[in-house]
Amino acid sequence: MLSISSRILSRNGLLPFSLRSLATASKSMTVREALNQALDEEIQHDENVIVLGEEVGRSEGNYSVTAGLNKKYGDRRVLDTPIEEIGFTGMAVGMSFEGLRPVCEFMTWNFALQSIDHIINSAAKTFYMSGGQINSPIVFRGPNGAAEGFAAQHTQDFSAWFASVPGLKVLSPYDSEDAKGLLKAAIRDDNPVVFLENELLYETAFPVSDAALKNDFVLPIGKAKVQVEGSDITIVSYSLGMKYSMQAQAELKKEGINAEVINLRSLRPFDFETVAKSVQKTGRLVTVETGWPFCGIGSEIAAQVFECPETYKSLKSPVLRVTGVDVPTPYADMIERASFPTSKNVVDTVRRSMKC
Amino acid sequence: MNFAGFSLRNLSPKIGSPGSAVIASRFASNEVTFQTRPYKLHKLDSGPASETTLTKEDALDYYRKMQVIRRMETSAGNLYKEKKIRGFCHLYTGQEACAVGMVGAMDKEDAVITAYRCHGWTYLLGSTVLEVIAELTGKISGNVYGKGGSMHMYDKNFFGGNGIVGAQQPLGAGIAFAMKYRKQKNSCFTLYGDGAANQGQLFEATNMAKLWDLPCVFICENNGFGMGTSADRASASTDYYTRGDYVPGIWVDAMDILSVREATRFAKEYCNSGKGPLMMELATYRYSGHSI
Repeated sequence: MLSISSRILSRNGLLPFSLRSLATASKSMTVREALNQALDEEIQHDENVIVLGEEVGRSEGNYSVTAGLNKKYGDRRVLDTPIEEIGFTGMAVGMSFEGLRPVCEFMTWNFALQSIDHIINSAAKTFYMSGGQINSPIVFRGPNGAAEGFAAQHTQDFSAWFASVPGLKVLSPYDSEDAKGLLKAAIRDDNPVVFLENELLYETAFPVSDAALKNDFVLPIGKAKVQVEGSDITIVSYSLGMKYSMQAQAELKKEGINAEVINLRSLRPFDFETVAKSVQKTGRLVTVETGWPFCGIGSEIAAQVFECPETYKSLKSPVLRVTGVDVPTPYADMIERASFPTSKNVVDTVRRSMKC
Repeated sequence: MNFAGFSLRNLSPKIGSPGSAVIASRFASNEVTFQTRPYKLHKLDSGPASETTLTKEDALDYYRKMQVIRRMETSAGNLYKEKKIRGFCHLYTGQEACAVGMVGAMDKEDAVITAYRCHGWTYLLGSTVLEVIAELTGKISGNVYGKGGSMHMYDKNFFGGNGIVGAQQPLGAGIAFAMKYRKQKNSCFTLYGDGAANQGQLFEATNMAKLWDLPCVFICENNGFGMGTSADRASASTDYYTRGDYVPGIWVDAMDILSVREATRFAKEYCNSGKGPLMMELATYRYSGHSI
């Protein structure tokens, strides 16, 4: 099943997790490079696109996602803002009302708690409240959720909060193709998009197809990807959770359990159809996320699977969730690690599901 | 009796009274020249014109508009008491000269954004009285099909109608940013109340507006009260026109419509010349409570 090139890659320790994209893989790219390429291309593609945020310009971005862009395009297109979250977020939304297409970076999504009124009340709701007269073609992006050693105030996962809001689109990429294709789609979308990246994935290199390297590579919003096909159990995840899901899938394969791993890519709109199709095939479902359990993404997926008669009837065991621990993130590395899921948690949960 | 430090008696000049001298009038002409009410300036060497000419057409137009808004708001108040309007209803009664005076100096491509005391603005910026009242009573023939209600009405270059106190401040600065980005010779008039003048996001918005020289006019409609709390019980400084610090400001007696108009003309010219943002305080009064 694996091609010669992928065997070479695996021998060199570069085994890519995305088997589908192996078919035409010719290059690898980190998630950071993919995001940078997306921004670079979209700034060129549309005169109205500007990037703003703290340290994005002269300092090239706190996580280097905007590296080189201010040098290339100047302050007019890549703008450093003062440390005034609610101020610059409100301004970015105002810019979008007046026809610009801002990409508003949050150094981390934790700081967007200061901005959240503008994300929700100004951006998400205005198209509805104005009877369709005013739309907000803005992208809010930045690293979300688990990091290492940043403690409670800098490590919260906001996926579930934003995914619940009508009027927003919420995307969360895993690999480099996701990152590039989804960010370009988000910028081109006329609705406000919350784009949740993860810092721990920025440095990870993934193979990318030739198509993904072109400047018109856009992925559809609202479509999940079957990252690996399987038949015994469905694992649904997104962003950093995919890393543990893919590791678990490889581990489980050794003991003869073929898990199908679905990469959601899009939290709102949520692709229930792809999940349902898989659950009806396998009869078992484990959701994986790094955010808190109560009212998390897994809760919503489970509820929808239970409410749909076809998927409910096909279940051989209850839906099980792997989530972060219900605790503000601790600092010391041992307890920090214990508060987030690992691939072992996913494997154990799959085994539990298989036993029912 | 006074509020926010101003004696109320001085705020309603009549023709012929010391506060508003008629400079010249010709019996057979259609124009009169008035003196405007004195302005107070902050970090400005000169301010709006001390004299202005009013044509008969404009006089009738302004009078009509102010009366329509007054009656529309009175009807809204009555409809609310009959429970035909639900939720919140913030009336502009008493503040008519602010909106009508400003619109008298603005052009169609300028932008306006305000808070929830927006019915009068909605009427002036493109909607009919029927569309406003239909929106208030939740009809599909309303300004936004009944989906917004009292606090969320919009039109071309009119960005609402915002429910969250202070939110419109950075939104307005962002609209001004986009105008400058596209090299437009227009301004965004960003209105807020004396209560919202204490919002942190105003400080943030004025910082960025001044940093980047944005054509944003920050206008505090000081009606003496933030909800139920008088201005002097909420603000360490009630000199709202100075609160922009490094942003120049003008205090306007906004019960005089021509003073408002001249100040707005000055503000437009100031922003169009690329000097950056300006702050204005319109000293006015509302005759109803915060909301009914």
